[in-house]
Amino acid sequence: MSLLEFQNVFKIYGDLHALDDVSFTVDRGEWISIMGPSGSGKSTMMNMIGCMDKPTKGNILLDGVDVAKEPAKKLTDIRRDKIGLIFQQFHLVNYLTALENVMLAQYYHSIPDEQEAMEALERVGLAERAKHLPSQLSGGEQQRVCVARALINHPEIILADEPTGNLDDANEEIVVDLFRKLHEEGTTLIVVTHDPEVGDVAQRQIVLRNGKIARQTVNQNFTGHIRFTE
Amino acid sequence: MKRRKMLVRMITASLLRRRSRMLVALLAIAIGATILSGLVTIYVDVPQQMGAQFRNYGANMIFMPAEESFTDADMQESLSTISSKELVGATPYQYNTVRIHEQPILAAGTDMAAVQKTSPYWLVEGQYPAKTHEILVGKNVAESLELSVGESVTVSFTPEDKSKLDSTIDFQITGILNTGGSEEEYVYVSMEDMEELTALPAHLDIAEISVSAGSAQLQTYVDEINAGNTDISANLVKRVTASETTVLSKLQALVLLVTVIVLALTMICVATTMTAVVSERRSEIGLKKAIGASDSGIIAEFMGEGILLGGLGGILGSVVGFAFAQFVSVNVFGSYISFRLLLLPITIIVSIAVTSVACLLPIRSATSVDPALVLKGE
Amino acid sequence: MFFKMIRGTLLHQWKKMLMIALTIALGSSLATAMISVVMDVGDKVNQELKAYGANITVVPKQSSIVSNLYDVEDETPGSAYLKESELGNIKTIFWAFNIVDFAPFVTTTAALPDGTEIHVVGSWFNHHLDLPTGEQLDAGMSSLRSWWDIREGQWIDEQSDTGTDVVMIGAALADQEQISVGDQISFSGSASDAKLTVVGIYESGGDEDNQAYVPLHVAQSLADLSGSIGSIEVSALTTPDNELAKKAAKDPSSLTVAQYEVWYCTAYASSICYQIQEVITDSVASPVRQVADSEGAILDKTELLMLLIMFLSLVGSALGISNLVTASVMERSGEIGLMKAIGAYNRSVTALVLTEILIASIIGGVVGFFAGIGFAQIIGQSVFGSAISIRTVVIPIVGVLVTFVTLAGSIPAIRMLLGLQPAEVLHGR
Repeated sequence: MSLLEFQNVFKIYGDLHALDDVSFTVDRGEWISIMGPSGSGKSTMMNMIGCMDKPTKGNILLDGVDVAKEPAKKLTDIRRDKIGLIFQQFHLVNYLTALENVMLAQYYHSIPDEQEAMEALERVGLAERAKHLPSQLSGGEQQRVCVARALINHPEIILADEPTGNLDDANEEIVVDLFRKLHEEGTTLIVVTHDPEVGDVAQRQIVLRNGKIARQTVNQNFTGHIRFTE
Repeated sequence: MKRRKMLVRMITASLLRRRSRMLVALLAIAIGATILSGLVTIYVDVPQQMGAQFRNYGANMIFMPAEESFTDADMQESLSTISSKELVGATPYQYNTVRIHEQPILAAGTDMAAVQKTSPYWLVEGQYPAKTHEILVGKNVAESLELSVGESVTVSFTPEDKSKLDSTIDFQITGILNTGGSEEEYVYVSMEDMEELTALPAHLDIAEISVSAGSAQLQTYVDEINAGNTDISANLVKRVTASETTVLSKLQALVLLVTVIVLALTMICVATTMTAVVSERRSEIGLKKAIGASDSGIIAEFMGEGILLGGLGGILGSVVGFAFAQFVSVNVFGSYISFRLLLLPITIIVSIAVTSVACLLPIRSATSVDPALVLKGE
Repeated sequence: MFFKMIRGTLLHQWKKMLMIALTIALGSSLATAMISVVMDVGDKVNQELKAYGANITVVPKQSSIVSNLYDVEDETPGSAYLKESELGNIKTIFWAFNIVDFAPFVTTTAALPDGTEIHVVGSWFNHHLDLPTGEQLDAGMSSLRSWWDIREGQWIDEQSDTGTDVVMIGAALADQEQISVGDQISFSGSASDAKLTVVGIYESGGDEDNQAYVPLHVAQSLADLSGSIGSIEVSALTTPDNELAKKAAKDPSSLTVAQYEVWYCTAYASSICYQIQEVITDSVASPVRQVADSEGAILDKTELLMLLIMFLSLVGSALGISNLVTASVMERSGEIGLMKAIGAYNRSVTALVLTEILIASIIGGVVGFFAGIGFAQIIGQSVFGSAISIRTVVIPIVGVLVTFVTLAGSIPAIRMLLGLQPAEVLHGR
């Protein structure tokens, strides 16, 4: 059974069909990128995968549960247990240190464990910056804290929204390298981006246009390494 | 246990690392708490302090003889009924008709120190008599007999027993009494001089008592005294007690109403500031929801902060408010007030309650917001 | 563009602007109410203190001291009297408006049928006066002796048909003589006799309990003193004495011309006395120290107390307003960072924020001013049962206060704005 399945999903705002009869599946351990220009429906789709929005019509099966039919409060629980979120704007709590920001996710999920949170930061290479506040970290470092926070609760899916949108090439590479490591460990990755360099790294690209899936391509020579085009 | 530790850690981090904003919030709460504790302290103390001012009107109770006269011992016994804290002063009087320059004048023997307490409004040109054979002369007497301060005057007394000779004493005039009332037609000497002059057995005709108490309490005293001592008939001076009740109750109502209005407005002010401080954190609330916080979890966190801030502001405000009330008391009434311990928990609880309510509204509206919208941009 | 942006803020951020306006409205209503109450509290409390009775007595200049002395000489030989016809003059003096009540008194003795000699006092009870100024006044004992307890019956009502040939009897006398309301009693005075109906029995707690009170003309005819009065009690709103008033009270001629002007034109008890002496022939008016002095003390304390409470609430609302302004500017740091990032000068950002806040504060200030007048009236009506007069001087005071506080409150916020690094705001967060 696939981990995530969209079945004829519609999202309609007035006359605007943000998502128009979208169907696709994601298998466990896959690395998918969702691409497309602004207004193509990327964000809407991302919100639905992240259980932050519901479709107007259609079903979304996440690990066998139809997310579209669950009440709002249940959605919070599902999101907390199954999904790790990474944002373009990083969104760290600005008065908590890197370590505390990671522990925050543990706190909402179950029990905060400083040891485990520290290990997560080590994995993203930020052990020595653990006691720093977000304002004392560079953009790349902040995004790595975000990654650590996303993976701390061992989610089924890591859902990243433009994870490199605010980063330079060097940091972009660091983040993609982190994704590759997660992928190698078997984590399911869904990366929403309009940056083809990041999108092309994934095993499969889903390209959206005007709310419909324009095409799906499978990356034949997948390496998990970013290739910069000059 | 560990979860609670993390909650505490988060709250303290929020308070300490967002210093400027938290100071703004704390300041707002402290101002509210200051006004609360300051005004309530003043309100509670006003009747007592103002009551003391009303003692300026003089005696509000008089002892009259039930029969012919009563003694100093009777007076002291009756006075023991009145709590010494409330007793402002008690002045005995003995009246006799004497002659000055061959004119019949009413002379009163009294206690000069006590008079100044029971009749603080007396205006004496010169000084109150302090030594023996000194006399205080009412203004009308002084004018009609053309007496002035520093002069010596001969006072004579004719005993009822006509066979005895008139007794005379030369008095030194130390002061002219100005009251605008009938006291201006009397002369006043010390009780000892009066006894020396008249050679009558020691007795009192009347005693004026000034008691700092409400009218109900005064009535209780009067009843107790009348029941306790058969020689004395105690009465309230209606003019003073009835009017005091009227005016004092108005003053108290005034301070109460002002307190209520000022407090209500201040609390709304505190609430709007707290609302502004919390509204700023909408995106933080959205983020926390996105990474899995439940609404109740977020409310708990913010309430924790609110309660801590409210408590801190309450303590701060209690101290500053008391200082203000003390300042008012010293400057307006010239007396110190004691710290009311009960007010401390009340102020803290009210501060916490107002802060919590003020935080709850914006948090509730923030938690109902879709996390996706908050995270996306604005 | 500047105005477009301001309009934009007001339209799109109206909730925040509304909150600033609300807080300023609260602060300004508090200031308006407190200042109005403080300015009027003296007059109001002064009115209340009238419960203590007259604070000025007027007696004839030649009044022999002997006659007033405790029954020493009961037969007052043709001593001096004041003229009844001059009574109205009291309401024509410079401080006429401050005279709230007055009553003439004539004291005589009369014998009851059983031969008991008692003091009979003639006075006004609720005497109606039509003054030359067009003002109307009901003056007399019923308000000057507010502390009297009417044990039975009621006050003499001079304005009703039954207002003549009536008498009020002191409680002690009534008990002694077994008199009750409705009885008809014959009084034989030194000049004539009168048959009077008892309408009330009072308890005064003083010597009056052994006396009888009758309408002025009844006492005058008993003693053949028509047109004459023995004394006048005046209840006036006065300003507490200060050094000048004390000096003047001793001898007005010791003042310089300027001091005299100030004294004469201030409602000191002594200047009112002086003015009464000017209009009542051969009279001596003097303040009743027990009342006048105490009034002064209580008025001073009350005014000072209210002033300090006002001060506290003004400081409170000032801090509250500036606090909220700071908080609301902090909240907008993102937007302002953006403006700076796209090239706005500090000066123009400051101008924008200040203009927005000022607009909110003007709206809030005006609304608050009227709300404050409302609060003042609530206080006035519920405590004193009369309206608090709103002085025009309150408007500029509150206006300056609100503007100043708003601007001062913006200083920390503006300083913070100027310190903002656009990059930090847009990225860091």
